[in-house]
Amino acid sequence: MVSMYLSSMLFLVSGSLSCLMLSLMCLKSGQAWFIEWELLSLNSSSIVMTLILDWMSFMFLGFVMFISSMVLYYSGEYMSGDNNMNRFMYLVLAFVMSMGFLIISPNLVSILLGWDGLGLVSYALVIYYQNEKSANAGMLTALSNRVGDVAILLAISLFFSCGGWNFLFYVDNMPSMNVSGLLCGLVVLAAMTKSAQIPFSAWLPAAMAAPTPVSALVHSSTLVTAGVYLLIRFSPALEGRLSQSVLLLLSSLTMFMAGLGANFEYDLKKIIALSTLSQLGVMMSILSLGYADLAFFHLLAHALFKALLFMCAGAVIHSVKDYQDIRMMGGLVYHMPLTGMCMNLANLALCGTPFLAGFYSKDMILEVAFMSSINMVSFLLYALATGLTVCYTMRLVYYTLSGDFNLGNLYSVSDEGKIMTNPMIGLSIGAVFGGASLAWLIFPCPYMICMSPFFKMLALIVSIIGGIVGYMLNLNAVNYKLNSLNGYEFVVFGGSMWFMPFLSTYGVSKGFLSSGETYQKVGDMGWSEYYGGQGIYSFIMTSSKNLQVLQDNNMKVYMLSFLLWVIVLVFIVI
Amino acid sequence: MLKFLLACVMLMPLVNSWWAVQSSLFVLSFIMAIYCYHDFSNYMMGWCFNIDSLGYILILLSFWITSLVVCSSQKVLKDNNYPSLFLLVNIFLLFFLVMTFSVNDYLLFYISFESSLIPTLILILGWGYQPERLQAGVYMLFYTLFASLPLLVSLISLYNMSGSLTLGLVENVSGAGFIPCVWYVVTVFAFIVKLPMFLVHLWLPKAHVEAPVAGSMILAGVLLKLGGYGLIRVLPLFGEVNKSLSWLWVSISLVGGVVVSLMCLRQVDMKALIAYSSVAHMGLVLSGLVVFGWWGLNGAVVVMIGHGLCSSGLFCLANMVYERVGSRSLLISKGLMNFMPSMALWWFLLSAGNMAAPPTLNLLGEISLIISVVSWSKVSMLSIALLSFFSAAYTLYMFSLSQHGKYYSSLFSCCSGKVREYLILMLHWLPLNVLILKSSTIMCIL
Repeated sequence: MVSMYLSSMLFLVSGSLSCLMLSLMCLKSGQAWFIEWELLSLNSSSIVMTLILDWMSFMFLGFVMFISSMVLYYSGEYMSGDNNMNRFMYLVLAFVMSMGFLIISPNLVSILLGWDGLGLVSYALVIYYQNEKSANAGMLTALSNRVGDVAILLAISLFFSCGGWNFLFYVDNMPSMNVSGLLCGLVVLAAMTKSAQIPFSAWLPAAMAAPTPVSALVHSSTLVTAGVYLLIRFSPALEGRLSQSVLLLLSSLTMFMAGLGANFEYDLKKIIALSTLSQLGVMMSILSLGYADLAFFHLLAHALFKALLFMCAGAVIHSVKDYQDIRMMGGLVYHMPLTGMCMNLANLALCGTPFLAGFYSKDMILEVAFMSSINMVSFLLYALATGLTVCYTMRLVYYTLSGDFNLGNLYSVSDEGKIMTNPMIGLSIGAVFGGASLAWLIFPCPYMICMSPFFKMLALIVSIIGGIVGYMLNLNAVNYKLNSLNGYEFVVFGGSMWFMPFLSTYGVSKGFLSSGETYQKVGDMGWSEYYGGQGIYSFIMTSSKNLQVLQDNNMKVYMLSFLLWVIVLVFIVI
Repeated sequence: MLKFLLACVMLMPLVNSWWAVQSSLFVLSFIMAIYCYHDFSNYMMGWCFNIDSLGYILILLSFWITSLVVCSSQKVLKDNNYPSLFLLVNIFLLFFLVMTFSVNDYLLFYISFESSLIPTLILILGWGYQPERLQAGVYMLFYTLFASLPLLVSLISLYNMSGSLTLGLVENVSGAGFIPCVWYVVTVFAFIVKLPMFLVHLWLPKAHVEAPVAGSMILAGVLLKLGGYGLIRVLPLFGEVNKSLSWLWVSISLVGGVVVSLMCLRQVDMKALIAYSSVAHMGLVLSGLVVFGWWGLNGAVVVMIGHGLCSSGLFCLANMVYERVGSRSLLISKGLMNFMPSMALWWFLLSAGNMAAPPTLNLLGEISLIISVVSWSKVSMLSIALLSFFSAAYTLYMFSLSQHGKYYSSLFSCCSGKVREYLILMLHWLPLNVLILKSSTIMCIL
C-alpha cells in the first residue's frame, strides 16, 4: 500500500515536469491552445467553460504542481502524528485542483470554479485543527475571500454588456465600454481581497492557524497569488484608470505596513506571513505601474523561496516542541545545519542577495519602479520596504538561528527526518537556480535600465543599512532596558498591522450582528407580527368580543337599538 | 400525462407496504426523467393537461423529492407511527403537486394549488415533533389562504373578461390605471406570500421548523416553487402594470433578503437558519422574475430547482442530527465532526451549495439572476453584494458551529451514519452539481 504522500508527490512531480516542458515549447514557438466548451447559450450570450493553455498558464501550473508535490511529500512526515491525515491530503489535493482550474481559465464565469473553490478549500484547511483560534481564523479568511467572490459576481453581471465572459478578448478594448470603470474597480477589489492588500490584510497572518504545510502551499505561493494572477491577465484593461493609482497606493502601503509589522512580531509563522504580505505588495505595485510580466516573474520566484522558508519554519517548529515563539528558539544552526542552511538560503533570496532567485526579480522590479514616473510617496515606501525586508530577515536569523540558545530544559532538536529535508533541498535548488532560469526564459530581451548611480545603489544601500539595523537592534540581554516602551503607541500601531485585525473582525461584525438581533426581535417578532398573524388575531378577537355584546340578549341593548331605529325612521319620514 | 397521475393514484392502495411505495416512487422519477429529451415546447397533451419545459422540470423535482422524503422518513416506519397513513398523505400531496404543474387551466391550477395545502397541514399536525406545530399549521394555512382567496376573485374576473381561463388563451390586462393595478396586486399577492417575500414570510420559519422532516423537505423543496411557478404563469397577463410596479417587489425582496440574512446570523435553531435562508434565496428569485428579463426568468427556474435540492438536503441533515441528539439547537449539537466525520463532508458539500459555490446549479441561477437584476438597475448591486456575502457568512456559521470544535459533553455516542442516509444526501447532491453540465434542460425554457 503506497502511502498517500508518496503517490501524490510522484503524480504532481510528473505533472509539473510535463507542464514545464510544455511551457518551454510554448515559449519557443509562441503557440497557445484555447479550448472552449459551451455550457449554455441564452439570448446570444454564452456561458462557456474555457481553458487557455499558453506559456504563462503552463509555467504557473508547473510551479504550483512542483511546490505542492514538495509540500505534500513533506507533510507525510510533518502530519504523521495526525489521525485524520487522509482528510488533510485530500483537502490539499482539492486545493491544487482548484488552483489549476483558476490558472487555466480566461473566462470570468469559469474562473469562479477555481476562485470559489480556493476560498472554500482554504477555509476547510485553516479550520483543520479544531480550536477557537483556527475557527476564528478560518471565518476571517473565508469571509475576506468572500468579499472578492461577490466582487467577481458583480463584475460578471457588468460584463454581460460585452456579450460574453472571455475577458481575454475584451481587455484590449476595455476603455470603450461605459461600465468599464466600475468593472475594473470590481476586478481590482477581488484581487485585493484574495491577495490581502490593505484593507483586507487581516486574514493572512490569522490564517497561520493552519498546519504549516498548508501555509507553505496556500499562503505563500498559490492562494494569495491568485489575485495577482487575475490582475496579470486583466492588466491591459487597467491602463490609465483610477483603479491603477488606487492599487499603487494601497499596495505600496501594504508593502510598508507588512515590513514594519514583521519587525515587531514574535510568532515565527506570522513573521513569514507578513513577509509574504510585503512581497505581495511588491507584486501588486509593480503590476499597477503597468509591468505585468515583472509581477509574474516575481510571483514565481517568490513562490519558490517562500515555500522553502515555510517548510524550514515547520521543521524548526517541530524541533522546538511545537511552539512558534521565536524568543524560545536560538542557536539552532548548530543543531540543525541542513535546515539552517535552507532557511538561510531562503532568507538571502528574500532579501535580494545578488544572483539568488530573489535578486533577479526584486532588483529588476526596484530598478524599473525607480525609473518610471512614480510619486514621492510610493518611491519612499519602496525604498523603506526594501530596507525593512532585510531588517526583519536579519532579526529572524538572529532569533532563530544564530542568537543565544533559549530553548527549555528537555529538547530534541534534530535534522534527520529525510522526508522533511529532501523536499527542502528540492526547493533550495529552485531558490538558487530559479531566478536566473526564469529571467532568461521570460525576458529574452531584457529591460533597458538607465539610472543615476545613487538610484542604482539605493537598493543595495538600503538593504545593508536594514540588515545592520535589524541585527544590531535585537541583540539584547536580560538587563537591558526595553526602550520601545517609551513609544508604546507607535509600537502597538506598527506591530498590530495598523489595527486591521481588530477592525476587520470586531469592527465589522459588531454592527451587523446587533442589527440582526434588532431585526429579529423588533421586526420579525415585533412589527411583522403586529401587522401580520398576531395583530390580526388580536384584532379579530377584540372585534368579536365587541360584537358579542349584541348577542347577549341584553334588554338595554334592544331598547337602545329600538330607539336608534325610531330616530332614523322619523328622520326619513320627515 | 395521465400515465403519471394514474400512477400516483394507483400508489394509494399500496400504502401498506413501505418498500413498494418507496421503490415505485423512484421508478416513477426515472420514467419521468426519460422525457427530458422532449422535442416540442408543449407535449404530453390530453384532457386538461400539458407540460412544457417549466412544468416538466418541476414535476420531476416533485417526484424526486417525494421519493427522497419517503426514504428519509424511515423513523415513521420503525416507530410504527401510522406509516400507511403517512404514505397516503405524501402520495396525495404528490398527486396535487403534479396536477398543479401540469394543468392547462388557471382555475384547475388554483384548485390544485390550494389542495396541496391540506396534506401539508396534515403532515405537520400529524407527524410533527413539538406542540408549537399547531400554531405553525394555523399560520401556514391562514397566511396562504388570506392571500389566495382574492386570487380566486381575480381569476373569475379574468374569465369574465376573456371568456376562457385556458393557459395562453387569456387576454392581457391592458393599461396601468387604478383597476389594473389592484387586479395585478390581488393576483400576484397569493404567489408572493407563497414564495415568500420578506414582509409576508412569517409562516415560513414556523412551518419549516415545526414540520417533520418529510414536511420540511417537501415545503422547502417543492411548495415554495409553487409560488414561483404561479408567478411565471400569471405575470405575462399583466405586462404594463408590472412595469410600473416591479420596483416595489424588487426593493422589498432584495432589502428583505439582506435583513433576513442578518437575522440568520443570530439563529440558534438549525432548521430556522435554513428556513430563513430560503426566504433570502426566494427574494432574489422574485426580483429576477418581476424584472421581466429572459436571463431573470431562466435564472429563477434554475435557482428554484437548485434551492429545492439544496435546502431539502440541508433539512435532511438537520433531521439526522435531531434524531441522534434530540435537539435542533446549534449550541447543543456542535462538534459533530468528532462523531460523524463522513457526515461532515456532506454538511460541507450541501452548505457550499447553499452559498452558491461552483459547480452547483445555485451558482448558475444566481449568476443569471444577478445579471438580470443588475441590468435593470445598477443600484441593486449593493443589496445583491450584501445578500451574497451574508449567505456565505451564515452558511459558514452553521457549518463551523455544528461540525467543528468540541462536542457537547453529554452526548454519549451516536451512529455515524447509515448507508440509507448517505444515499439520500448523495441523491440530493448529485443532481445539484451534475445538472450544470447539461443546463439547457433547465435553463433555456419556454
